[in-house]
Amino acid sequence: MTPAIKSTFGLLGVIAALWMTAQSPALARGDPALGAEIAARVCVACHGPTGISPLPNTPRLAGMHSAYLIKQMRDYRDGKRDHEVMVNILVGLTNEDFDHVAAYFAEQTPILGVVTDESLLALGETVYRDGNPGSGVPSCSGCHGDLGEGTRRFPLVAGQSVDYTLEQMRRFATRERTNDRGLMQTVAERLTENETRAVAQYIASLSLSDIADEE
Amino acid sequence: MSGMTIHPAWLGSLVFAAGLVAADSPTPQPYSPGIESPGYVWNQPNEEQMLALAHDADPANGEAAYAVCRGCHEADGSGRGDAIYPQLAGQHASVLIKQMVDVRAGRRDNPKMHPFVAEWVVSSEEVADIAAYLAALPIPTTNLKGDGAALAQGQALYARDCAACHGERGEGDADAFYPRVASQHYSYLEYESRLIRDGGRRNANPEMVEVIQGYSDADISAVSDYLSRLALAPTAGVAQSSNQSR
Repeated sequence: MTPAIKSTFGLLGVIAALWMTAQSPALARGDPALGAEIAARVCVACHGPTGISPLPNTPRLAGMHSAYLIKQMRDYRDGKRDHEVMVNILVGLTNEDFDHVAAYFAEQTPILGVVTDESLLALGETVYRDGNPGSGVPSCSGCHGDLGEGTRRFPLVAGQSVDYTLEQMRRFATRERTNDRGLMQTVAERLTENETRAVAQYIASLSLSDIADEE
Repeated sequence: MSGMTIHPAWLGSLVFAAGLVAADSPTPQPYSPGIESPGYVWNQPNEEQMLALAHDADPANGEAAYAVCRGCHEADGSGRGDAIYPQLAGQHASVLIKQMVDVRAGRRDNPKMHPFVAEWVVSSEEVADIAAYLAALPIPTTNLKGDGAALAQGQALYARDCAACHGERGEGDADAFYPRVASQHYSYLEYESRLIRDGGRRNANPEMVEVIQGYSDADISAVSDYLSRLALAPTAGVAQSSNQSR
């Protein structure tokens, strides 16, 4: 090989490496089938076979955007989000495993959440849709979507378990959870306790079926 | 001697570490000197503003970055008159950039907004992207109006004192960083005008402070009401001139 060809290949390698770096984790490269195998091994005990957890204070993952799931897994592993069980499980997985698992859970269908106090739904809807201008709380729908569907950056919240939402809000407010660019820390701090309880109930009542019907 | 020298790379990592700490928890809005400080110069060039203005803005990326603004300023940029959140749709990009940069730097006090526009949430480039996205949005005329009781007075005051800078039709001046004021929420115009008159808007233009100094609350309400009803023809020219990078 002439030096010129060598350097051409070297350059191609660099370009390929840069391209792959640029693709990850912005685009889901995970294989849901591989993800299903990993999930059945390490996630199922707490999160259920399809990401609908039977346990209290354990998030539902079904239908979450893969980019959001990948970030959370990396944050747990890298110590940016605290959870003793999660970190111990995730240190045994690779970034590629994260991609696969995220692709699997992103494909699962969320189911209706469980509302435990219907009397709070009206206030919860007001907070979710209008926020509270007096205390500087933005509407939740601004980031999480009208149906709670979420995006790459903001989690799907529709149907989320009430006690998990409340525990996360508590952790944001006390700054025990800080992997949110400060956004939810600010919101959680500004919400009253009653508003927080109400919005957790309202979130649980949200369903994405409207979207499915339209499509 | 060499043991005393701090290697530049080590210094860099210190700065980097400080950045990481800042990224973890929201810090309160910083303070930068404004109109209350001697030697204040309105719209003094600063690094971030120049960076944002020079950025080749990408409105599509701006739409994505705008997600954190939507919770208050609404998906269509119409803001909320009842909450005194300004309408941003169709505002000049230069104005939007200046105001975001001033809130980030703490020259314009807004501790409620700051956590959502802080540099660990929105990059300097995204400030420009968001501004370009908003500037091109159609201007809603559903904005909050006043009671309509003193429109003639408002029109006369506006023509006499305000139109020279903010334009005959309230269109503002993108090159001069003067905001479009037509079709803005009555509540927001009134609130900010009083703040500017009373010295609370720390990034205000001293020329405007001088002009509005003699205004009564009723004068301000009259002009605000008049402007809230002033609709701009949605010409492409408005959006385009405000999109120009400077």
